Amino acid sequence: MTPLALAWRTARRYRARAVLAVIGVAVIGALNFDMLMLSRGLVLSFADLLNGTNYNIRITGNTGQVFARSPVDHAATLMQKLAALPEIASVATMRTAFAAIVEPTRLPQSVELIGSSDPSGLGVWRRVSGSNLGATSEGAAAQPAVVSQTLADRFKVAPGATIHVRVGITGSMSAMPAIPLRVVGIGDFPFESADALIVATSMAGFAQAHGGVVNDQAEFMFAASRPNVSTDAAVAAIERLRSDIRAYSNEELVANFAKNAFTYFRQISVVLSTTTAAFSFLLVTTLLTVSVNQRLGEVAALRALGIRRRHIAATLLWEAVLLVGIGGAFALPLGELLARSLDGILRRMPGLPAGLHFFAFEPQSLVLHVLVLAVTALVSSAYPVWLAVNLPIAQTLRQEVVS
Amino acid sequence: MCSIRRFLAFVAALLLSGPSYAASAADTPGILVSRQLLAKARLSVGDVVTLAADAGGTRARQFRIAGVYEPTPDPMKFNVERIETRLHLDDLLGVVADPSDPSAADAVSAINVALPNPSSGSAFSRALLAKTPFVVAVPTRDSENSTFQVIDRFHTAIAAVTVVGSTAFLLALMVIRAEERKETVGILRLIGISRTTIMTEVVVEGLLVAIAGAAVGVLIASAAQHGVNRFFQARYDTALVFMRVSPAIAARSVAVAIPVGVVAGAVASWTLLRRRASSLVRR
Repeated sequence: MTPLALAWRTARRYRARAVLAVIGVAVIGALNFDMLMLSRGLVLSFADLLNGTNYNIRITGNTGQVFARSPVDHAATLMQKLAALPEIASVATMRTAFAAIVEPTRLPQSVELIGSSDPSGLGVWRRVSGSNLGATSEGAAAQPAVVSQTLADRFKVAPGATIHVRVGITGSMSAMPAIPLRVVGIGDFPFESADALIVATSMAGFAQAHGGVVNDQAEFMFAASRPNVSTDAAVAAIERLRSDIRAYSNEELVANFAKNAFTYFRQISVVLSTTTAAFSFLLVTTLLTVSVNQRLGEVAALRALGIRRRHIAATLLWEAVLLVGIGGAFALPLGELLARSLDGILRRMPGLPAGLHFFAFEPQSLVLHVLVLAVTALVSSAYPVWLAVNLPIAQTLRQEVVS
Repeated sequence: MCSIRRFLAFVAALLLSGPSYAASAADTPGILVSRQLLAKARLSVGDVVTLAADAGGTRARQFRIAGVYEPTPDPMKFNVERIETRLHLDDLLGVVADPSDPSAADAVSAINVALPNPSSGSAFSRALLAKTPFVVAVPTRDSENSTFQVIDRFHTAIAAVTVVGSTAFLLALMVIRAEERKETVGILRLIGISRTTIMTEVVVEGLLVAIAGAAVGVLIASAAQHGVNRFFQARYDTALVFMRVSPAIAARSVAVAIPVGVVAGAVASWTLLRRRASSLVRR
């Protein structure tokens, strides 16, 4: 009989303990797998968000933190210069402002007003129903708007409805009148929190909300490099245009995000994955050791019958592999379920972008998970194997008979 | 707005109060700088520094460093380098407010409000929003989805998963222990010891193992907290406490261990007591 077959029979003979050990490994393995997914989940998710847009370069002012840069001055001129660059395929600009929806029948509600030069939304929103901003007309009575799902639900507005929006001018004693906006669509805004109230409109609508007078700034400008031009070359070309702007490729933003944002979760994932690996090792070692101690007579009898030490060692190793392997296999679907549940908890964090997830699967996590389990199986069987192969056969058999 | 300014000036003065601040030179206004800024810019108390609205030196003014302070630990800023300075509100407005904008000197970023009834935060927020649409009031505590409530729930969920895994392993160990004593239990049954007595013995054993395990866990966590805090405090240059084993947490760990031990003991004893006594002693 092969060591694997013998190990399988042993597991079946002691079914209750084997099942319990597999459950334990599966639960702890699931947690370990989740921590591996958590370690890079946010970064991968953020990269997916950025790469889901049509632009691979972000342009901001040259001062401030990476994710809170100053606005770009003289945005219109810059946009023309950017569009003329041979490295650039398309350019768009985005403006934001505090605003409020003012309807006669209800209290004013603060919202974020976005002005976009790209009617399809710059990737800042994804259309859920209705249409995008489409072609804008300068003198139209009501400019088009795409609103967030939360806003549509709260105000019970659907495409075709009209809302009235009044902007707030920060740091200035100015009270702007409300303007009507025609809701043409409802969108998901993955860079905003799920409960954010957002109204996105055309640049003409944005200017109209400001009484037709709006300074020539942009919070963000977006650019897409031409397919045959590297992103770095396009970034360098943009930065050569003016010294007061800073261009970031998506890769740079992701690297900055990985370095600065949510480092707590990366650290806790390292601590918990190490702890769970150590926990699995200790418990499997304990189970195997206690199990071998209980079967000393059986092992001694096998040795007395002429079964080689190597065979005994291989059997014990297979026992560990079976427990850890089956438990580890169950850990994958269990880990996926657990990750969804934990992600649901964490995504209730205030202000978290709706499109960001804490847990993301990547092949690297699976490889690491398998490696951790393989090492656990190998190391945890070392002591029981040592006990079994160094057993004094005659003395053990005598003790078994006497007891 | 004037009362708000007076209030904030008072807060700023309070933050800046102390003998070192009072002792600053008469002509140059005093400021306090964070320990981190003092070290990074190689400054000393008594140095005269220039603060300006931007890197170009707009509305630059000179200040004398009157003292150093340790920034209040803030979990939301633990990975942010605390390069900060504190100055009187009037001095700050003198630097940052644009003289061409008459309202700039009367604008503040945030106002802290203490309500007589702290639980009325949401009602206050709604009432304020109705009167001033562009001013948002956010309760600082008791928010169901505040960042720390969410992190607390995350940690609790992880702890629950760990308890489930531990229960499975404790059960496996108790089953092995029960198997080891199969014959002894069989003999005890044959000489008339009741199932209840045997079950109680195994349950008590499971309980003791669980409580001892929890106690050792609390001891290990207590010993580790110092190292963990030292590591992260040095890593992020903060006085923030990252890990604290409080009596309540220790008590909760032991409280969770009790039902785990009882369940493990009960299941292990059931594996023995469901069998006939004669089958337990058969070799």
